Amino acid sequence: MSLYRSCSFCVLLLLHVHSIVFGDTLNLTAVEPADRPAIQSSPVFKPGAPGSLGLLASFPEDLEISAYCSEMLLIFGRRYDTYVNCLVPASRPVRVCQNCYSSYGSLREIYNNISSNQMGPGNESCGDTLLRSDRLMLVYQLYSNLKDLWGESSCERCITAGFQSLTNDTLYFMAILNQTNACFQKYQQGNHTELCTNCKNTYVAMNELYSGMEKNLTLCIDIEDAMNGTRKLWSKNFNCSLPREETVPVIAVSCFMLFLPIIFYLSSFLHSEQKKRKLIHPKRAKSYSSLMNIQDKQS
Amino acid sequence: MANITKKVSWSSRADESGATGERTPLLNGSEQQNPLSRQPSEGGSVFQIGRLSTVDLEEEITSDEESLRGRPKEIPHTEKLLSLKYESLDYDNIENQLFLEEERRMSYMGFRCLEISRWVVCGLIGFLTGLIACFIDIAVEQLAGIKYQVVKTNIEKFTEAGGLSISLLLWAFLNSAIVMLGAIMVAFFEPIAAGSGIPQIKCYLNGIKIPRVVRLKTLVVKVCGVICSVVGGLAVGKEGPMIHSGAVVAAGVSQGRSTSLKRDFKMFEYFRRDTEKRDFVSAGAAAGVSAAFGAPVGGVLFSLEEGASFWNQMLTWRIFFASMISTFTLNFFLSIYHNKTGDLSSPGLINFGRFQGDSVAYNLYEIPLFIAMGAIGGLLGALFNILNYWLTIFRIRYVHRPCLQVMEAMLVAAVTAAVSFTMIYFSNDCQPLGPEHNEEYPLQLFCADGEYNSMATAFFNTPERSVRSLFHNQPGSYNPLTLGLFTLTYFFLACWTYGLAVSAGVFIPSLLIGAAWGRLFGILLASIPSNGSIWADPGKYALIGAAAQLGGIVRMTLSLTVIMVEATGNVTYGLPIMLVLMTAKIVGDYFVEGLYDIHIKLQSVPFLHWDAPATSHWLTAREVMSAPVTCLNRIEKVGTIVDTLSNTSTNHNGFPVVVQVSGTDEPAKLCGLILRSQLIVLLKHKVFVELARSRLTHRKLQLKDFRDAYPRFPPIQSIHVSQDERECMMDLTEFMNATPYTVPQETSLPRVFKLFRALGLRHLVVADDENRVVGLVTRKDLARYHLGKHGLEELQLAQT
Repeated sequence: MSLYRSCSFCVLLLLHVHSIVFGDTLNLTAVEPADRPAIQSSPVFKPGAPGSLGLLASFPEDLEISAYCSEMLLIFGRRYDTYVNCLVPASRPVRVCQNCYSSYGSLREIYNNISSNQMGPGNESCGDTLLRSDRLMLVYQLYSNLKDLWGESSCERCITAGFQSLTNDTLYFMAILNQTNACFQKYQQGNHTELCTNCKNTYVAMNELYSGMEKNLTLCIDIEDAMNGTRKLWSKNFNCSLPREETVPVIAVSCFMLFLPIIFYLSSFLHSEQKKRKLIHPKRAKSYSSLMNIQDKQS
Repeated sequence: MANITKKVSWSSRADESGATGERTPLLNGSEQQNPLSRQPSEGGSVFQIGRLSTVDLEEEITSDEESLRGRPKEIPHTEKLLSLKYESLDYDNIENQLFLEEERRMSYMGFRCLEISRWVVCGLIGFLTGLIACFIDIAVEQLAGIKYQVVKTNIEKFTEAGGLSISLLLWAFLNSAIVMLGAIMVAFFEPIAAGSGIPQIKCYLNGIKIPRVVRLKTLVVKVCGVICSVVGGLAVGKEGPMIHSGAVVAAGVSQGRSTSLKRDFKMFEYFRRDTEKRDFVSAGAAAGVSAAFGAPVGGVLFSLEEGASFWNQMLTWRIFFASMISTFTLNFFLSIYHNKTGDLSSPGLINFGRFQGDSVAYNLYEIPLFIAMGAIGGLLGALFNILNYWLTIFRIRYVHRPCLQVMEAMLVAAVTAAVSFTMIYFSNDCQPLGPEHNEEYPLQLFCADGEYNSMATAFFNTPERSVRSLFHNQPGSYNPLTLGLFTLTYFFLACWTYGLAVSAGVFIPSLLIGAAWGRLFGILLASIPSNGSIWADPGKYALIGAAAQLGGIVRMTLSLTVIMVEATGNVTYGLPIMLVLMTAKIVGDYFVEGLYDIHIKLQSVPFLHWDAPATSHWLTAREVMSAPVTCLNRIEKVGTIVDTLSNTSTNHNGFPVVVQVSGTDEPAKLCGLILRSQLIVLLKHKVFVELARSRLTHRKLQLKDFRDAYPRFPPIQSIHVSQDERECMMDLTEFMNATPYTVPQETSLPRVFKLFRALGLRHLVVADDENRVVGLVTRKDLARYHLGKHGLEELQLAQT
């Protein structure tokens, strides 16, 4: 573990470690970037943050990070940056799977490299050094947040294995979606009833495709969001929901059903023989008197 | 007081009325009319013995004047009757010589084995009850799933194409067809399996033998019936019947044989008597509760609350064992069913879900609100009970033919479907589909795409799921109008449904009504503008409302509190739930009794409550008892015994055995008590003195012979006694209970009552100071007194 090769990187790590442990005492300008890596991930690694050089001199040179690891860290930072930069613009309407799957793939790759215990050129492993040597475990936290996000969005279901491309299902759905939207565009002006009748076919096809995919568990957030938006357009904006038309027959049938028990109870009241209970004379009435008679006699 | 003279003249016995003055002092100084008002007990429907009674009753008595004395009078069924068909169970041990002999023969090991087998039986009871619960649960889930899927696809089809009334008809038809199956089973094959079964088990634990209540056939009908009625969409639950099922399982397993299947496993023969069986039945009831609600402690307390006079610590521990086994059996098998083998986290049939997190915490200032909700629950519960009371009276009087009962059940099912459908159809409450899909069968109908009809989650679902969604759905997933309408309709539907000839419980519908108005209450509170979100979670109020409503209807106290606490898995709710149940009970009891008690009364069951009615101390055993008593001599002629037993007009079950003091003509003295069942066994085995003499090798009758005949002793008509045999003599010395309980004539009613209740007696001999039999007190003699609105009232005996 005690490999002191590149001083410039060691300096940085030292800064990094100590900024956590002695965060209070340190110069704030130097600490700040480390605290907010999600926003600004790379600056930490830019050598020569002005206030830090002074500190560096005061620490012994027991720096634990190798050039290989810091290289990895740098790559991780860059890819992280790319992915986050891709995510934010894709958040509304949601396109996170379609747009960013490849950058997530590369991020994952580098993280796996770091965390796997595979040895680098100098027969060293960066997993322990980078991921688990301090309380904050920054790299791990950063990655796991994004991983949770990825899991939440179920993007896995829309992407082929190895982050090569979108699945055929997804592409097909997107095609239908475009068709529907085109149809909406076409009839948007004027009377919406026209839209409702003309676009119904594609809309229904899309709906069915969606429910099929729901059953197959091949939905990711992009598709769900697109479907949601389309449905909202269809039902709320264009008012194409089904109207309530059969009020009269439904009321008639229910009233008929409600009348049946009334007839039933009336007829059973009128025609059914009322159940009578035969009263039994308890023996004690007589006995009581006879007992009394006995006692009367005795007295 | 004119009415006194009227009564005196009415009693049409001049000699008696003349004796009034002399008799008065005997009645503990009670007022003069008391002995008189007891005289006319051959007429009138209700007799009031209280001091104020005579004035109120004048009219009734005059109308009775016209009825001829001596002829049986027929009246319509009311709650103020006691049926002759119910008998007591023999909870008192019969300590005759056979018993003592057997006990002497039994080794130390024998007793140890007995103790172990008690544990084994309790384990088996728990296991089988859990299995039955599991079966019911899975069957209901599967069948209801199919039904709702069919209706749902149909509705979806017709929403677009038009013709929703056809879906309505389909739904109604499916419902009534399924309910018809259940109702036919119940009405034609086993009427005792109707309802929740809790009143019946309550009676059983009270010491009343309800015919056929713990038979295998009843169990089968009950289980199938409850599946049918829940799947048929009635406003019912499957929890009450679980308690009955548990009790039947217990009564069957502990006997080691089935009379219905004619199989005797030669096991557990020692347990073949009422005393032992009662202990196991209470274990079974506890196991049933525990399986139904996932509440083992609640189950034990339920048995304690309903059957408490016969308890000891070991029995409690055993019952707890049975409860635990039952809930964990259910748990285990459900985990297999849900493909999560070994995950023991779905303990009950109804799972209230877990109330956790900050949103369900409650604060001191909410306690008054909870109490207010308890009062509302008590009021609504009383209303429910009163409505159901009138309905039940109507049903007993007019809807008593089985085919009518089946028709009624079908109609209720159809109307339930129609009402639910109409509600769903006209509801405008649309909610977006949640990410985790709480709704099993979301119906869209006229909602926007991607939304579902919120009324449908309440109606288009099995009641258990509706309860859970009311407890746990996000705030805002129901709007107040939906909840209000739902409460209203479901209240009447549930009230109408309870008492039909289908086996079904009232727990879940009560919880559902309560949860609905409780949630409504919570939403309304939240809409009051206030600083901060203190009324955050309507689910909490739904829970409290459910407790209040259930408490208002069934009026259980301790056990219900524990059941609710266990079912929610949150001990911190103990206090509010207890307060709510207390309030609900106090408010409800002001108007009317609990639903189960009403039904027990309407069944004319001679039920003994905890205590004798207040203000009854002036009644003595002499007035309470039946007399004269049919006594048997210790060595009695067979002919006399047969004649006594076959006399249909006096269907007595216990006969004091007397011994004539030789040489004098003094009345005979009491020396024992013998039961009808014992006499029948004796006659069947022809244990006659003459035969014993002639056949020296004749096997001596053992206790086993009595146990083999238990519990279905043959009727006397099936025993043939030849003319010669009628002349033989029978020696009852060995078989009678040589030390029956006796009381002097002056014992007050509460004292007699206490003896009966605490010892589980069946017959209590009233003897005079020379140990001569004066009368006999039975359960019906005691149960006929009850405290009415106008003081002490007396119930009539009737043939039902």
